[in-house]
Amino acid sequence: MNVNATFFAELIAFCIFIFITYRYLWPNFSSILDARRDEIAEGLEAASQSQRKLEDANEESRKLVEDAKSEASNLINLAGNRGDQIVDEAKNQAVEEQKKIKASAEADIEQNITKAKEGLKQEVAALVISGAEKILNKEVDEKSNKDIVDALIKEL
Amino acid sequence: MNRTSRPNYNAFLKKIMAENNHTESLNHASELTSTSDYISHHLTNLTYGWCEKSQSWGFANHQQSLFEETPCKVSEMGFWTLHVDTIIMSSLLGTIFFGFFGLVLMGAKKGVPGKVQNFAEFVFEFISNAVKTNFHGTSKILGPLAFTSCVWILSWNLMDLLPVELTNFVGNAGVGVDYFKLLPTADVNGPLALALVVMFFVTYYTIATHGIGGFLKEFINPIELVGYFSKHIALALRLYGNLFAGEMIFILIGIMFGQFFMSFGQTLWFIPGLMMNLVWALFHILIIALQAYIFMMLTIAYINLACAKH
Repeated sequence: MNVNATFFAELIAFCIFIFITYRYLWPNFSSILDARRDEIAEGLEAASQSQRKLEDANEESRKLVEDAKSEASNLINLAGNRGDQIVDEAKNQAVEEQKKIKASAEADIEQNITKAKEGLKQEVAALVISGAEKILNKEVDEKSNKDIVDALIKEL
Repeated sequence: MNRTSRPNYNAFLKKIMAENNHTESLNHASELTSTSDYISHHLTNLTYGWCEKSQSWGFANHQQSLFEETPCKVSEMGFWTLHVDTIIMSSLLGTIFFGFFGLVLMGAKKGVPGKVQNFAEFVFEFISNAVKTNFHGTSKILGPLAFTSCVWILSWNLMDLLPVELTNFVGNAGVGVDYFKLLPTADVNGPLALALVVMFFVTYYTIATHGIGGFLKEFINPIELVGYFSKHIALALRLYGNLFAGEMIFILIGIMFGQFFMSFGQTLWFIPGLMMNLVWALFHILIIALQAYIFMMLTIAYINLACAKH
């Protein structure tokens, strides 16, 4: 164990190597590793972001499908209602029409009946008169017996 | 990693002794002398310095040096000497390891990294996280400091896994370098230099946080002053001691099986030697990484303490 001038040589060599490491090796390795770390971080960030985007898109598509479904069911309901409404309206209209037709038919019938009654009355009156003529065998003055005949007709 | 196949052990020892002018002692050499010579040979750095004897600059203990007749001992060279092997190995390892990180950065991609880049980034992130979790102030220099000390010390310590005999084989093969320690951590100068830099930054951050008055006020109790220096010296010696001891055990394993080989003359002794080296090397891998980690963590902890507001 003899300490001698080698010590100074080693000291100088060590300082030179420290200087080389300080100026060249250390910063370059640091920058390379930092750049790689940043790159990896960015990659991970991008991956998680795209994952999030995918989830968002999934969510959105599900929402869209749900919206579409609810809209469709709404439309179906609406259409059903409208159909019912139309059917109701048609029914009402038909009923009214029917009533109208019925009423007019009834009126017609009434008219016909009155007409027929009138006719019948006339005919009956004529028959009565002709019957009475036949029975009485004499001319019955229609004019003088008009009151009686009318009363008869009324009684019919 | 064949540490123990050492067929020319005897010849090798003779060569060392011849170099050290121990030829007489070899004639009636006890096992002890040769063993201690072997150990001291392994613990000697390739030293360059001023030799008083020959009044010239040169390598210690070296036949190939300028002062061929009377080689200078390391102990005769004084303070102003250089351990050339430590300097070469530590600078080379630093260049290789920091160059590796630099090359990775040059070809770095911002996107999906390749295997090599992934490894480099793992190392960076490991140290960066250690700093982030244990340091609660703001400092631009602590990250690079921790990174440099951890990587550099680890690269040093890894040399402990190379065979202890490697450089001697190469030296014996005619390269002309008889002493070369591969492990810079087993030379105390390296760890001490690292610890001094840590001490500088600890002092700097203490003064930056508490002011000079606050820094000096810590030393009202003289024990604190002792602690201030001893904790940094301990930081260096902990690293040095662990790796030195590990290297020592490799050397001792080598000696043990070398002795068996010389006593019983069985080449097969190389097999248990290899096994023991392997076991210790496997265990030592833990120490190699752990000591680098401990040094880094203590650096962070000391500077964190220096930055902490009381």
